[in-house]
Amino acid sequence: MIRVENLHKYFGKLHVLRGVTNHVSRGEVVVIIGPSGSGKSTFLRCLNLLEMPNEGDIYIEGVNVVNHGANRVDINKVRAEVGMVFQSFNLFPHMNVLRNITLAPVLVKGISEDQALKEALALLERVGLSEKAEAYPSQLSGGQQQRVAIARALAMRPKVMLFDEPTSALDPEMIGEVLDVMKDLVSDGMTMVVVTHEMGFAREVADRVLFMDGGVIVEENTPSELFSNPQNPRTKAFLSKIL
Amino acid sequence: MIASTLRFLWENKMFLLAGAWTTVQLTAVSVALGTVIGTVVGIGRISKNKVISLAAAAYADFLRGTPLLVQIFLVHHGLPAVVSRYVPGFHITPFISAITALSINSGAYVSEIVRAGIQSIDKGQMEAGRSLGMTYWQTMRHIILPQAFRRVVPPLGNEFIALLKDSSLVFAIGYNELMTRGRLLMTKYFMFFETWVAVAIIYLCMTMAVSRLVRFIERRMAVDDQS
Repeated sequence: MIRVENLHKYFGKLHVLRGVTNHVSRGEVVVIIGPSGSGKSTFLRCLNLLEMPNEGDIYIEGVNVVNHGANRVDINKVRAEVGMVFQSFNLFPHMNVLRNITLAPVLVKGISEDQALKEALALLERVGLSEKAEAYPSQLSGGQQQRVAIARALAMRPKVMLFDEPTSALDPEMIGEVLDVMKDLVSDGMTMVVVTHEMGFAREVADRVLFMDGGVIVEENTPSELFSNPQNPRTKAFLSKIL
Repeated sequence: MIASTLRFLWENKMFLLAGAWTTVQLTAVSVALGTVIGTVVGIGRISKNKVISLAAAAYADFLRGTPLLVQIFLVHHGLPAVVSRYVPGFHITPFISAITALSINSGAYVSEIVRAGIQSIDKGQMEAGRSLGMTYWQTMRHIILPQAFRRVVPPLGNEFIALLKDSSLVFAIGYNELMTRGRLLMTKYFMFFETWVAVAIIYLCMTMAVSRLVRFIERRMAVDDQS
């Protein structure tokens, strides 16, 4: 589904990604862990081209989506199929919840307002926020905002969902409600790549956990193997600090 | 002195108020056009395209770095030569010169306001829009600009007030607004002090009315805006 080959990314002189290669299959749930500055968020942001990699290729369903030289792709088309959920929610504060969800499907996919509205209401029910349809983001708690953000991303009917530390900005008591929505997606068979510090979530739902450090994937394995029997000393050091 | 000023003001009220009304119209049209120009230039200033951003910066620098009076003369005496070459028979009136000069000048200041307004919006908003597959321009129009405009209402109000006062400079090309009418009265009656106090009072009333209006709009938006 997503194949990444030898990805490099520089911010000025800073070499953030130093050759990342991986493959995410359809329906797979991949969790990325690692210390801050390890490049895990940058890697995720490359997958929907919020960051353009300097080197390497990303194939989504066999199509190389990285612009270089001869290969020109419509970035907007790529992004429409890859949903993204941010740490800071990034809801549109000047629009109510429904409008937040229907805007992109209407503008980008050209579906009718009525149809978009119907789908938005169904999505809100799915994330348990039907009664907040008319509310504005500022009237919602962090957990509710993040659930709306997930609904907004799902409204584009993406093939993959990317989560960039979706619970890091939340008060502890709200983390559960967001993770529940994500688990619901997992049981629905959604392909997901999740950067998170929620090791419990990784253990429970991930098919595979990647440990990143220094801009490369240091180690990857099933969650039970990686957590109980890490091979690389850097993985061991990291896990011993957080578990 | 006060009594004579008030009497003077009262006796010439219709003549001066007509000039004040012209000043308001001139300012309103110029700020409206200036806002359009300023939005385009302001977006240009943050463009990743170096040619566009440099052109936009040059525009703003030139108009903010030269006196408005010079710009008014430049437009009034320079524009006819340019226009008559391309549109023969088209006559540039002081009205057209005044509005053109003030709009272009105001556009430079508004572009700074708009640029700052856009840059004050959290980066995550653009990223969220783009991540949903919206184009740069779709995100600009539906996400960034509506939020930016709410934030720039107070500085835009200040710009309106500044331009209302600066519009007095168009007396130099003989446009019949409040300042020009003040000069006419002065040369007619030779009551210098009374004339200019009367004109000052009218300008003061107008600027205070505008600042009230801006504060009202600001408060209305604070109520509407749930964010």
